[in-house]
Amino acid sequence: MGNKTVNLIGKNSMRIVLTLLPIIGFLILWQLAAMFTSIGNLMPGPIQVIESLFISFAKPLGPHTIQMHALYSLKRVMVGYGSAVVTGIIFGVSLGLSKMFRALFRPLFELIRPIPTVAWIPISILWFGVDEMSKYFIVFYGAFANVALSVYMGIQRVDPVLVGAAKMLGCSERQLTFKVVLPSCIPYIFSGMQVALSAGIMSVVVAEMINSYEGIGWNIHAGQQTANMTQVLTGMVALAIFGLLMAAILRQVERRMCAWNTRNT
Amino acid sequence: MEYQKYIEGRKAVITCKNVCKEFDIRDRKQAGSFRVIDDLSLSIYENEFVVLFGPGECGKTSAINILSGLDRPTAGSVFQGDTQITRPGIERGVVYQSIALFPWLTVMGNVEFGPKARGIDRTQSRKRAQELINLVGLQGFENAFPISLSGGMRQRVGIARAYANDPEVLFMDEPFGALDAQTRYMMEEEILRIYEHEKRTVVFVTNNIEEAVFLADRIILLKSCPTSVKQEYIIDLERPRSYTAPRFLEIRQKITRDMDKAL
Amino acid sequence: MADSEVDTRQREILVRVRDLTKRFDDLLVLDNISFNVYRHEFLCIVGPTGCGKTTFLNSLTRLYDITSGEILLDNEPVDLRKHNISYVFQEASAMPWLTVEDNIRFGLKIRKFSKDVADARVEDVIKLVNLQKFRNYYPAQLSIGMLQRVVIARAFATNPTLLLMDEPYGQLDIELRYMLEDELIAIWEKTRATVVFITHNIEEAVYLGQRILVLTNKPATIKREIVNDLPRPRNIADHKFVELRETVTQLIKWW
Repeated sequence: MGNKTVNLIGKNSMRIVLTLLPIIGFLILWQLAAMFTSIGNLMPGPIQVIESLFISFAKPLGPHTIQMHALYSLKRVMVGYGSAVVTGIIFGVSLGLSKMFRALFRPLFELIRPIPTVAWIPISILWFGVDEMSKYFIVFYGAFANVALSVYMGIQRVDPVLVGAAKMLGCSERQLTFKVVLPSCIPYIFSGMQVALSAGIMSVVVAEMINSYEGIGWNIHAGQQTANMTQVLTGMVALAIFGLLMAAILRQVERRMCAWNTRNT
Repeated sequence: MEYQKYIEGRKAVITCKNVCKEFDIRDRKQAGSFRVIDDLSLSIYENEFVVLFGPGECGKTSAINILSGLDRPTAGSVFQGDTQITRPGIERGVVYQSIALFPWLTVMGNVEFGPKARGIDRTQSRKRAQELINLVGLQGFENAFPISLSGGMRQRVGIARAYANDPEVLFMDEPFGALDAQTRYMMEEEILRIYEHEKRTVVFVTNNIEEAVFLADRIILLKSCPTSVKQEYIIDLERPRSYTAPRFLEIRQKITRDMDKAL
Repeated sequence: MADSEVDTRQREILVRVRDLTKRFDDLLVLDNISFNVYRHEFLCIVGPTGCGKTTFLNSLTRLYDITSGEILLDNEPVDLRKHNISYVFQEASAMPWLTVEDNIRFGLKIRKFSKDVADARVEDVIKLVNLQKFRNYYPAQLSIGMLQRVVIARAFATNPTLLLMDEPYGQLDIELRYMLEDELIAIWEKTRATVVFITHNIEEAVYLGQRILVLTNKPATIKREIVNDLPRPRNIADHKFVELRETVTQLIKWW
């Protein structure tokens, strides 16, 4: 028994080592390059960036500290992404269930979908002004199609035998939607939400870089304007942490809600 | 005649008259229809265990879909008692080869699904569901999700779920087709135990002759596609039956000889 | 324990399995298994559900690393590149984008047989399984029985030293199964290949095997080794057949 436990620990620590090795290697290479090559004239090394990140928790970058910038970005993501998830699910379900709705809105949806988020920024400023509303819109636009499409796909892939089984058990058409079709779409909804989250974060950064006085995107933009590479890189590192945290939270929610979809939970 | 004696005094529960089923073929090259069932007529009697047996892919599943009301025949009609079957109904339960449990519901949730959908009183339906879960031998697994169960256990849930609506007839469409040989033997004994306990008419579809002879009061042999009744056999062997008794093997070989050779 | 009758036979050993043990993390699946596969024999392995029969095959082909013990083929460690081993899975796995003929030719091409030899081999096996008329069909156009024959033909085409079959007929209806089993026996008798056939189905094992290895429940060990010298063609209703089948059933029954 003891033998096996040791074996397992060995395997786990091996995995951790394998995960960390490339990251640490990358940081060391970067640091060495910043110290000993001409790259050092252009940009700071990781130690300096991490130092600046910690300093920015207390000392404002522009108008705000880094955590306040992050909160601004977070608010924009939450509002835009949240509304995209809700409307995207409704839109996707309608698309999947109603032939009428599909005939009416599918072509319009397919027509608008290929236009990249960035291209909407001028119009969104025209429509919603330079305030928060235009940023919400951009995030919403970036996330919406991903959610809607996955839900639509999920509905198309509902097992017809399950639908037949539910009918034989006395399910009405209305019950069918809520008791069979929607639950079996949940995994698709979550995978759509994951993709939409990345799209939403990307959109908020773009929106903030073009039109904002705060947020992580602004940080990067301001850094570029003042040729302050430390600020640019600080913003990038903050973004990486921000995105990682959001995705992890979403995965936890999924694990809770889809216990039936995973073994041994 | 043996058959006449068998049906004497029995009430027909399901009557299927001259049923045909065609599917439209939508191919790039040709449009047309494909006939799966060709003039199928049969009766199923109260509380008997009937096995529909035929070569693989002969249209058995289409027949079950029509008998249960999930699908409409192209021609002909099916009656349960005096009422024509035109749509799915809780008077008929189905057990599927793919088992088709709702993966997002627990064992209890699956068994309770039918009564709940119909708005049956909760405490009453819970009590009945628990009874059925005990009957199929799954007490202790009420809160497990299907994904954590073995194939045999899942099909036990499928059987309990079909019984939960107290249907008059149960259709079982190759319910053990996806199980390995030994789990299958075990489940065959189990289904007979459950059948004895909850007397209901059972229509059991299989392409396994051993299973057919082991289970059936009566075997209806189907032709290969397009299908209809080829022959019927009354199996009057005592239960429990032995797979290797001389009479068993004799009946088995006779039916195997009679069946269409499909390849 | 092996019947002494088997051990005393002076036959040429093709595969020698010694003290084979396989565990997945905490789970012991195969526990110290030792046996031989003799050249040209038809060996059936049966065991209770989930006893690790497939793990055993995968260890034999080195798809899995074994935990301890050794498997020798012709007195050498098994090497898939060097030894000619064919494998037939439960799912008829023909390449959907190749015709029947090209599917059968597939293994020959990979093993770089010359075109003449390959052509001749393909002709031989396609005749053995009676698929001459269907040589230009794609798998999707075939019934499941024909598909299974394509797979068998492909496996025999390379003239394998060892043919491993993992429940190839598990999901087929019984009529078809007997037909394919008879064909398999005919091909095996012609080619003299060595076949290891794994199945849950006891009747199938007794119908096919010259020798039957009965495994115990997990962790799998060898419970009995049974020599089956019933004459072919075998009859499932023959009392000796029934007797043997009952013997194996009693060894396995776990419910």
